[in-house]
Amino acid sequence: MSQVQQSEIRNRLLKALSAEDFALLQPHLQPLATPLRHTLIVPNAPIKQLFFPEIGFSSTTTSGAGGRAEVGLIGREGLVGASPVLLGTDRTPHDHFVQSAGEMLSIETGALCDAVHQSRSLRRLLLRSVQVQIIQTAQTAFINATYTIEIRLARWLLMCRDRLDEDELHITHEFLSLMLGTQRSSATLAVQSLEGHRLIKARRGRITLLNRRALEEVADDGYGLPEAEYARLIEGA
Amino acid sequence: MPRYYFNLRHRPGPGGLAVDEEGDELADPEAARAHALLLARDMIARTRTEIVRDWMACAFEITDEAGALATTVRFGEIVPEIEG
Repeated sequence: MSQVQQSEIRNRLLKALSAEDFALLQPHLQPLATPLRHTLIVPNAPIKQLFFPEIGFSSTTTSGAGGRAEVGLIGREGLVGASPVLLGTDRTPHDHFVQSAGEMLSIETGALCDAVHQSRSLRRLLLRSVQVQIIQTAQTAFINATYTIEIRLARWLLMCRDRLDEDELHITHEFLSLMLGTQRSSATLAVQSLEGHRLIKARRGRITLLNRRALEEVADDGYGLPEAEYARLIEGA
Repeated sequence: MPRYYFNLRHRPGPGGLAVDEEGDELADPEAARAHALLLARDMIARTRTEIVRDWMACAFEITDEAGALATTVRFGEIVPEIEG
């Protein structure tokens, strides 16, 4: 099978690698179709593979007796599994599954670890992406504690849009409530509120973004911090 | 089990109803009412939103699968009435 070429890659982490670092990973990257809800990493089980999203994105969730909530979103800017594996463990208590269907490049954990041991610059870049993930999770904690459900929804929609090539998202309110860590009725209220301001259009199981700039205004400083850190740390902006 | 839809009335008029298109499976209208009270309690405690002016003026207009009104649960019902 022919190898994946860096010029054809969509994953921003892989694109940001030097040609030498990319060459270390290249022979090990396997394209994988990733259907909706497909489990990428099983909680508390050895991580056999990591995933560079090319199209679509992954959701990280945590759960307990009181329910389940999203604590992270990883798309073409990241590497699913980077946090546990690069920080020295083979498993994580969090669930990682496909939130938007598409394609990812998988790599065996051993192959990734070998490459990271060979190249200090590769390790540094991937660890920086872990730092951005930590910032994203912290930002989620902050806005969940502080901001209105409208702001939380606007931010989440913008984060999804950043990882998609279209303005339409396929999502039920039940699932949205999980993503926002709230009741379905609260998610429905937030959708109605943003729709009332003509920022989105909602039909059953679908949300279409109508006005990105206005959504950014609603989200205000709830959105943008991890995104700016990514630009600074990974893409040298 | 039948499915009930928890439409949230937060102000008068057509724009004041957040329509639930998904619903939840519950045994009967009484179970739906108990579920609505739990929801109301949780929403008042945890949901910050600009669309609701007054939680105590809100109500769940619970409909059945045929779209008929099964029961209405006012958010104010979570507060026990004080006698005297």
